[in-house]
Amino acid sequence: MTVMDVQPRIRRSTVPAGPPAIITDLWAALTERGMSLVDVTWEQQRLHESRRWSVVDMLAAVDLDSLTPTDRMLVWNAGRAELTTKPGADRLERQANAECNRWRDTNPALASAMEACGTWSRYWNEEEAHHETVFNRLADLSGMEPIDDETFINFRQVFPDDDMLRTLVLLAISEITAAVNYGQCQHVVADPGLRRIFKQVAADEIQHRNYFIAFAKALVDSGEYHAKDAFAVAHLFLREDGELQGSARDKLEERGTHVNWWDQLETKEMDFRPEAIEKKEQLVCSALKKITGIEVHTREEVEDTWLDLLGS
Amino acid sequence: MMKTDVQSYLREKFAEHAGLPEDQLFGDDVTLATVIARSPRMTNSIDLMEAFARTANALRKEYGARVRLPAMPLDTPTTTVLKVFQEEFDRQREAVA
Ligand SMILES: [Fe+2]
Ligand SMILES: [Fe+2]
Repeated sequence: MTVMDVQPRIRRSTVPAGPPAIITDLWAALTERGMSLVDVTWEQQRLHESRRWSVVDMLAAVDLDSLTPTDRMLVWNAGRAELTTKPGADRLERQANAECNRWRDTNPALASAMEACGTWSRYWNEEEAHHETVFNRLADLSGMEPIDDETFINFRQVFPDDDMLRTLVLLAISEITAAVNYGQCQHVVADPGLRRIFKQVAADEIQHRNYFIAFAKALVDSGEYHAKDAFAVAHLFLREDGELQGSARDKLEERGTHVNWWDQLETKEMDFRPEAIEKKEQLVCSALKKITGIEVHTREEVEDTWLDLLGS
Repeated sequence: MMKTDVQSYLREKFAEHAGLPEDQLFGDDVTLATVIARSPRMTNSIDLMEAFARTANALRKEYGARVRLPAMPLDTPTTTVLKVFQEEFDRQREAVA
């Protein structure tokens, strides 16, 4: 009997049937339902494919002459902000790989969760490329101040490494901030083509947020990462004069190492600020609930819970 | 008398959570950025925030006052932080009394 004679056995997939979706309970999928990394990656791939869109086509639908100064300013800011996503995704890939190796011997399921995150970073990076190019190209076409190479390179600086759970929560909040901002923009711009772009990008950011929540939850579910770190990052953003205030804060940190896009928005001369702080606060609280299982509703509750989780 | 007690308790607790001796923490030219750079337990401002929070928790356990610290830029001197801690503590005390 040769290899060719062996009847192939049709494997029953552990990937759920139906439309593609984010695996929100990744830890249980890996440890209880026996999903392999091939299965997880297949789910990532088909979700990515189902959500693809064309920057070229979207740009063709914008009526450049109808754009107002506010429209153009929003586009210009968005393009600059999106420049910082590539170093974020590059760093995530590298950090997930390092974490995967760190856990390989002592907690193989956690190593798999880290690898799933690192693998997904390629889809994230590709999707963010759409955002960056759609806005920067549009800003350019509509005659906004060009982004010089020095600024471009400056915005590409890599964020310093941190604890993996903190990193994922920070990225989830960053996506929340972006999604809410673009959602607000969508209601301000008049051109239907531009509105569609903001709507599409906001939907992508929500999907990214959902992925970051799923990975962060897997880390907490593994028992190796502590919920306190999720709350610490949330507090950093929500506290009075915290990161959520973005460029509206009186004094910004001179970081020197990397650029936080939320610090760099230039909205001073505009009559519109896409802030919606309460909405962001509510979404951060809901993210914390999904990641840690702990329910909070306000920034004060976030701080109190964080202090309680810390001890003295 | 009370004030010096709280001050020395604050210094002691913060030094403990920063993993540094007090004289390296509260000199004239020491800022929050210096603390992060010197502390073996800190890599960024979240670690710093956590050390303050643990200090606030200790203060609460010892004196029963819950202190909330505002966000402070990294070029703030540690002596200013101590002052703010003290002011917040006094405010809490008065509110309770
Ligand atoms: Fe984006
Ligand atoms: Fe995104």
